Parts: sequence; structure tokens; C-alpha cells
Amino acid sequence: MNYLVDIILIALSAAVINNFVLYYFVGICPFIGVSRRVDMAFGMGCAVTFVISIAAFLSWTITTMVLIPGAPLSSFVGGFFMSKEAAATIDLTVLSYIVYIFSIASSVQFVEMYVRKFFPALYKSFGVFLPLITTNCAILFACLTIMNNVVGVENPADVWDLGRSLILALFGGIGFTIAIVIMSGIREDLDLCDVPEPFKGAAITLVVGGILALAFMGFTGVDSGLKKAMTKTQETAIVISAQPSLHTAMVEEFNRGGMGK
Amino acid sequence: MADQPTASERFLQGILPENPVYRQLLGLCPTLAVTNGMQPAITMAVSVAFVLVCANLVISLIRNLLKPHLRIVIFTLTIATFVTIADKVLAAYLYQMSKTLGPYIPLIIVNCIIICRCEVCASKQSPFIAVSDALGQSIGFGLALSSIAAVREILGTGGLFGVQLLPAAWPDWVIMVLPPGAFITLGLLLGFVNWLSMRKKGGRI
Amino acid sequence: MPDMKSIFETNLGQAWLVLLLAIIFGSSLAGVQAALGPKIEENKLKETLEKVPIVILGQTAADELKSKDQHLTITPNTVSVARQGVTKFYTLYRADFADGTTAGWVAKTKGQGYADRIELLVGMDQDGGRVTGLFILDQKETPGLGNKIVEDAWRAQYSDKSTSTPFTVVKLPRGGENEIDAISGATISSDAVTNLVNQAVSDLKHRVAELKTSEPEGAN
Repeated sequence: MNYLVDIILIALSAAVINNFVLYYFVGICPFIGVSRRVDMAFGMGCAVTFVISIAAFLSWTITTMVLIPGAPLSSFVGGFFMSKEAAATIDLTVLSYIVYIFSIASSVQFVEMYVRKFFPALYKSFGVFLPLITTNCAILFACLTIMNNVVGVENPADVWDLGRSLILALFGGIGFTIAIVIMSGIREDLDLCDVPEPFKGAAITLVVGGILALAFMGFTGVDSGLKKAMTKTQETAIVISAQPSLHTAMVEEFNRGGMGK
Repeated sequence: MADQPTASERFLQGILPENPVYRQLLGLCPTLAVTNGMQPAITMAVSVAFVLVCANLVISLIRNLLKPHLRIVIFTLTIATFVTIADKVLAAYLYQMSKTLGPYIPLIIVNCIIICRCEVCASKQSPFIAVSDALGQSIGFGLALSSIAAVREILGTGGLFGVQLLPAAWPDWVIMVLPPGAFITLGLLLGFVNWLSMRKKGGRI
Repeated sequence: MPDMKSIFETNLGQAWLVLLLAIIFGSSLAGVQAALGPKIEENKLKETLEKVPIVILGQTAADELKSKDQHLTITPNTVSVARQGVTKFYTLYRADFADGTTAGWVAKTKGQGYADRIELLVGMDQDGGRVTGLFILDQKETPGLGNKIVEDAWRAQYSDKSTSTPFTVVKLPRGGENEIDAISGATISSDAVTNLVNQAVSDLKHRVAELKTSEPEGAN
């Protein structure tokens, strides 16, 4: 139950509240470049979601199995050259970035082969955009977020497992798709408007993107509210006895007419 | 080979005419993310400069050994290595700034500016020219970041580098240091730069 | 034979550069890690440990201690609290004076704020009877609003308060015990911090008594 709550919050946060494009500023280049038509934008979004999920799977697996101190593979191989204790301290996390970028490149290659084989029409319309997904910040950002929640986490209970990582990646991609599709819808209409010459192209797209980000800011705090609502049943059952709960105090205060700051 | 730009041309081109942010529209991710204050912006510009210069230098030194199929792999490997070094140095000596910049330092790896310069210049010209190109582009990038950061920080907090400049009565436009402010500032400044260059070319607005 | 040679040319022949570079870069990175890794770890730890005296003793007393060139000995403990199948881990630091008496305890805890996670240190006195202070380590709340939780004046509301009553967030202080005045426009941030503090205090104040008389547990 707690795991499900966690997953829902991560998903909602990645897709909407802390949207990859509109809050973390990753994936801006295709956001501005590819978002002219809704169908192209949707296709791009799906491709990115696909790549991001595969890349996240690869990153999490390699990080947990090879890079962190005490990882199974590194201690196994190290065990041949040194004592078991020394092998358990081999820390390969300095190679993280190199490993991630290559797993992203491989994921893109894999997806490209897959699309070329099974969706040739789609492949033709995409053209050069597919390899360019390698330089999409959003994918590396997802890998880095996963790394931050796996490496160097003080609390062993907080370390992310594969499920959470994949959910972050998947819904991050979905959030990217949402943003880029909305943007392309707006741009299709913008093409019919009378935009001043210096602003045509990227400049007006950025300003509109800013207004879109403003709209999405309205979602801030939804996850903390949801978390409170979903875990309330557990919280009230804790050991504190005969203590007024926070909400009781605030309700009393409201009844006394004390709100209004 | 004779009509390739010289070192000084490369250097000067990178600052304004071929400015990576305003003209080439590359590297927009860090531009939006770290420009909510002058300090993070300058730190990011210096880090990008370090990676760009080192990567250009190394690629230029081995340019004759590069084969068409594997050159992207080699570019990526080189860039990722230097970014890791920059990240570790920042975490060791400027820990607070490293925490503020967060994931945006590793994101330099996929910053289009660096791969673009390696492809266009470093893989084809001598180390000296490659380094001047890198320096020019870095200065251009730094100028772009500073211009956006200056606007956002002054309007958003009333000061620069944490020093209060505007009178205390100024109601901080908090939105400027938040994501929407980044988009809108960059969009407006980009429009302004386009307008300037159109005027220069003598065209009608 | 020509086929073998051309295969060698196209694949292995080109890959040697990649492998060579990988080895060179890999070793230089290992060198960087060896040189800077310890310093980075030190930075992370220092960030917390530097604040421990201030959270327990207050800024003036801590400064006094430092000027006399005395230090508190800080021992970290990992405390796990199990509740309805969910285990939460706290890092609990015990700070001792030079003569061995316990100055106090500092718990590091993390939780969801308004915009993102908030990480904070909450200090208790040696018996776990009073909350001595609060320090926000990490937050990403709204600048100008929720951001104000880091301000000294607001945090001072948590100093020298009893642990027998949980803190409550109110908008108009009535002078009740352990009332925290909410930041105007940032009730959720104020709420989040107060909840974190209450949770940590209620979980740990009894553990403190157990740990005080026993040898400190090593960090798990």
C-alpha cells in the first residue's frame, strides 16, 4: 500500500507537477524545434518515452549491479584480485556519466532498428530526429535522477528499486509528450497569427512556453497534499497518545474565527 | 583547406555573430535552468568553458586518427570524461554551488554546443584554432548566460550576486526566478537580439 | 584472406582508438576520484556536523565554544523506527562535551515539503525533554514565501521548547504552548517543517534515553 502511494506520487510528480520540460528545463531543444505539428510532436514524444524507459532500465541495472560499492558484479570480479572486504568497497560511480551516455546511445540505436523494421513509414517521416534523441537532455536527466536516488543515499530504506526508477522514466516521458503536444497545438494556431518579425520562430515559442509553465505551476503542492491525504490513515495510528492532532487545533482556531492572515 | 576560418576569426565569431545561445539556439537547457542568479550562471559558463576547451584540444590533437563511423563515440567519450572531472572538482571545492547547480553540470555532456564545435571545428582544424574557437564560443555562452541571469536576478530579487541593488521598496518579481520567468526572459531577449540584427542589416521590422 | 583483412580494417582496426581512449580516460577518472573523493565526502559530512553545536547550544554558545577552541565530540547513530510495517531510519547524532557529558542530540530527517523535499536537523537536550533548535539543510520552497523557513527568526520558535507537547501551526498565535506562527502565504511549508519536527521528536525522544547510557551504536 505504501509502495503504491509512493509510485503514484512519483508518477504524478514526474508527469505533471515537476514536468521535465516546464519545470526542470530538460528536453527544450525538441520542444522548440519539433513542435510545429501535433502528429509529429506526438510521435516524437512517444519515441522519447520509449527511449527513456529503456535507458532508465539500463542505468538502474548497471548502477546497482556494477557501479556502487558492494555491487554484485564488481565485488565478484574484484574478489579474484583482492580480499572480499576490499572488493566490497570498489566504487565505480565515477564512471556513471560515461556509462549512462553510452546506454542512452545504445537505447536509441535499438529503438531506431525497431522502428525501421516494424514501422517503416514512421521511420521515414522521422528522418534525422531519431538519432538526435541521444542529445535530448530529458533522458540523461532521468538517468541522473535515478542515480541520485540510488547512490550515496544515507537511508537504506530510501534507495530506489527498479519499479520506482521505471515509473519515473515512463511518466517523465509522458510529461514530456504532454508538454510537447500542447505546445504544438498552440503553435499550429500561432502560425495563423500576426507575430512580429523579430519574434517569429524560437522567441515567441519560448514566451508561450513560459505562459504554459506558469499554468503548470498551479500543480505545485498537489503531491504533498495527496501524500497527506493518502497516508493519513497510517499517521494517526502512531504511538502518541492523548495529544491533540494538528488538524484539531487548526479547526478549533477556525471555529473561533481566528483565520484571516 | 585554404578557405577555413582562421583562429582569430573563429574566436570573434563565437562571441556575438555565432553566439551559441542567441544565434545558434544551442544549449538552451542550462541557459534556462541556472540563470536564476549571477553566481550559478557564471559557474556554469566557466564549467562549460573548461569542458569545451579541453574537449576541443583533445579532439583536435587526434583528428587525423578519427574514422567516420566512430567519431561520435569518441566525441562523447571525451566530453563525458571532462564533464566528470569538472563535476568532481566543483563538488570538492565549491560544494554549495555544486548543490545549487545539481544535475545541470552532468547535463553538459548532452549540451549541443560542445558536440557541435567538435564536429564543425575541432575535428578539422589544428589545436590552436580549435582552442580559439572554444574560447570564443565560451565567451559568447558566458555573455548570453550573464545577460539572462542579470535580468532575472535584478527583477526577481532586487540585486546581483546577492548584493541588494534596488531600493528595498521594490516588490520582488518572484516569478522571474521561477521556471516561467526563465522562458519568458529568454524569449523576450531573443526577440530583442533578432530585432537588433535586423536593424543592423537595414531591413524593415 | 582479403575478406578477413577488410573486416579487421573496418571493425577492430577502428576500435583500437576507442579502446585506448577508454583506458586513458578511465585511469584519469580513477585518479580524479582517488584525489577528490575523500574531499567530497568530507564536504558532505561537514555540512551537517558544523551545524550540530549551533542546533544544540544556540549560535552564541556555539561561537563561544569555538572561540575557546573547544569542540563537541559527535557520534552518529542510525535509529530505525518501525511503524505498521514501514521502517524509517534516522541519523541521530550525539554531541558530547570534552569532559564526556552529553550536550545534546541532533536528528537529521527528510520529508516532503510544498515544492520538493525538505531536509532538516532538529536538536534535543541530553534527556530528550526539550527541543533545542532547528536548522534547514536543504529546501526548494518558493523564494520569498516558503523560503522563509530558513530565516533565523522563524526557526527560533522551535528553540527551547518542551517535547511533551507536539508543535502546532497556527495563523494567529494565542500564546499556547508550542505554537508555531505560520509564515503568511506559506502555510504548507510551515506545516511540513512542523510535521517533520514532531515526527522526529516523537519517534526519538524515548530512544534518546536508551542510547544515553549505552555505548553509541556505529552507523549501520
